[in-house]
Amino acid sequence: MRYSVTILLLLAAVLIGASMTGANYRDIFGKEFLTKPWAGGQVKESVCISCHTSDIIKPEYRDIPQEWKQSWHYQNNVSCKDCHGGDPDDAEAAMSPERGFIGTPDYAEVPQVCGRCHIGILKNYLESGHGRALKASKTGPNCVTCHGSHNIQKASIKIINEARCSRCHSYERAKVMKQALFLTEKKIRDIDEDLKRLKRAGVFTDEEDKTLFRTHVEYRTLFHTVNVGLVKKSTDKFARKLSLIEDKIDKTFRELEFRRNFSAFFMMLFTVMGVVVFMLSRTYKD
Amino acid sequence: MWRRIKKGLEVRIGLEDLIDTKLKRYTVPRNTNIFYTLGGVALAAFIIQAVTGFFLLIYYVPHSDHAFRSVQQIMTSVPFGWLFRLMHVVGANLIVAVVFLHMLSVFFMGSYKKPRELTWVAGWLMLLVVLTFSLSGTLLPWSQLSYWTTTVVTAMPTAFPYVGDYIANVLRGGEFVSGVTLNRFFALHVALLPPVLVLFLVVHIFLIRRIGLSSPPFGEQTAGAGEWNEYRHVSYPDGYSFYPYFVLKELYMVLAYLVVMFFVITFVPTLFLPQGANIPADPLKTPAYIKPQWYFLAPYQMLKLIPNKFFGISIQLLLLAMFILWPFFDTGRERNILKRPLLLIAFLASLLLWIVLTVWGRTS
Repeated sequence: MRYSVTILLLLAAVLIGASMTGANYRDIFGKEFLTKPWAGGQVKESVCISCHTSDIIKPEYRDIPQEWKQSWHYQNNVSCKDCHGGDPDDAEAAMSPERGFIGTPDYAEVPQVCGRCHIGILKNYLESGHGRALKASKTGPNCVTCHGSHNIQKASIKIINEARCSRCHSYERAKVMKQALFLTEKKIRDIDEDLKRLKRAGVFTDEEDKTLFRTHVEYRTLFHTVNVGLVKKSTDKFARKLSLIEDKIDKTFRELEFRRNFSAFFMMLFTVMGVVVFMLSRTYKD
Repeated sequence: MWRRIKKGLEVRIGLEDLIDTKLKRYTVPRNTNIFYTLGGVALAAFIIQAVTGFFLLIYYVPHSDHAFRSVQQIMTSVPFGWLFRLMHVVGANLIVAVVFLHMLSVFFMGSYKKPRELTWVAGWLMLLVVLTFSLSGTLLPWSQLSYWTTTVVTAMPTAFPYVGDYIANVLRGGEFVSGVTLNRFFALHVALLPPVLVLFLVVHIFLIRRIGLSSPPFGEQTAGAGEWNEYRHVSYPDGYSFYPYFVLKELYMVLAYLVVMFFVITFVPTLFLPQGANIPADPLKTPAYIKPQWYFLAPYQMLKLIPNKFFGISIQLLLLAMFILWPFFDTGRERNILKRPLLLIAFLASLLLWIVLTVWGRTS
């Protein structure tokens, strides 16, 4: 025992002694280990957020970070610089035009800013009545008119509603468009929910996700033409594409059901075997 | 046919005598309890891991470009691949729980005391090998969970002054977790650790058979009591036969283990495969939800609480050394923990602290 205690004390002395001297290594480890998000630490904040939440900015601009944090863009890692340019890591040059800062784009330029990412939609929008109106008058509806600016939500059919559309024109035509979109949109939403359920069940749905995304984008792009006839004509084509995804999802759900029943059978089998062996062991004891 | 095989073996190796002396006449104390079977259950769990691991190895591709996809292929395309993978994943967690319980019961019953110190040390070394198995195995699916958990774990040695960075670089094969790390962990997982575990297992079982089983210290003690100044085999002439009595007891505990495993696979198959386990590794995207496995949560939380990280790791290493060498500190003859209130309080307090830190680590 004496030797063991001595060894342990020596080990303690060496380790504690080293911990007193290795301060710089502690810092490195602290930064590596404790300040990363998995450790519940702070993630480096962009200077855009720092300024826009401080007193140095006008009160009307202070809600922007909060609005953005509730947006679909935020969930998909689209940050300030992706739309407004600039350098979010350098406070001095954050708003420098040399670093690509454009600030708030001109009203008529908004579709070009959004269209840098939403390429297909831009093309169809520009050809639509909405796009032509903007081009002609510079005051027609642009992306922000329907989708908002910072608190942009995942687009859905709900965006077409009387309150929003009737700010510019009567709701009748928009209502017809909404009806034409309804079934396909519902199908897309249902498939999306099913894929979420599969993910929760531990199924890797990458291929189906990509197919759905492509189909959805193609469909939404088409909608931006604001051409009811074209949407109605294309609905069958999209329905077929979506049915293929649905078939794969159904097959996966059936497979999961089979797996559950299969392992439940083994669970019961082992339970029965366990009870039999237990009773057998009791007889031997007696 | 069976008779001829039996006769052939009887003539050559004396099969009946072997069964008679090693199984039937080998006796266990009459007051053995259910906790005595946990070592056997851990052995069965290890065999299950080896068998399922072998089937996974047939289809798994140990390359960072293909590893994730190959695991998904196992889950979706390989016939019953999902079953082998889930058994392996669930088993990897259950085996740690079984070994923990085994060690707790051995501690509680004072079975580590002279002459069984080496058996205890061999058991601890096996636990460390099992944990290394778990660490290396976690990286192999090359998912976000794998990648970032390994990043956290391989960052831990950097808390050591002077040699910390070197150790971390050796583990990772570079400054970051990469395909090189995957190759290293794969080689460790399938080529180095299995023979090491088998070696410790052989030593552990040899010591148990050579010294003889300990009896529970509660109630009437049947053998092994008294001074221990020279080697003797502890036997229980009036005990129960190892076969069939103890073997059957072991068997139903192994079946109980399988019931628990299949309960998890049936009702909560994603219990040990959380969100990040289903997303391919992305070194450029740090997820916010990564946590170590449940059995590393207590040391992880402890590290977070102690401001000096190296001091935190040192404390943990000292505690580990103390647990491994505990039989050499606790040399008193009294095995009944109920007659040692101080040790009982320390035991329960440590257990409670471990649970609190684990829950805290999970929820913080």
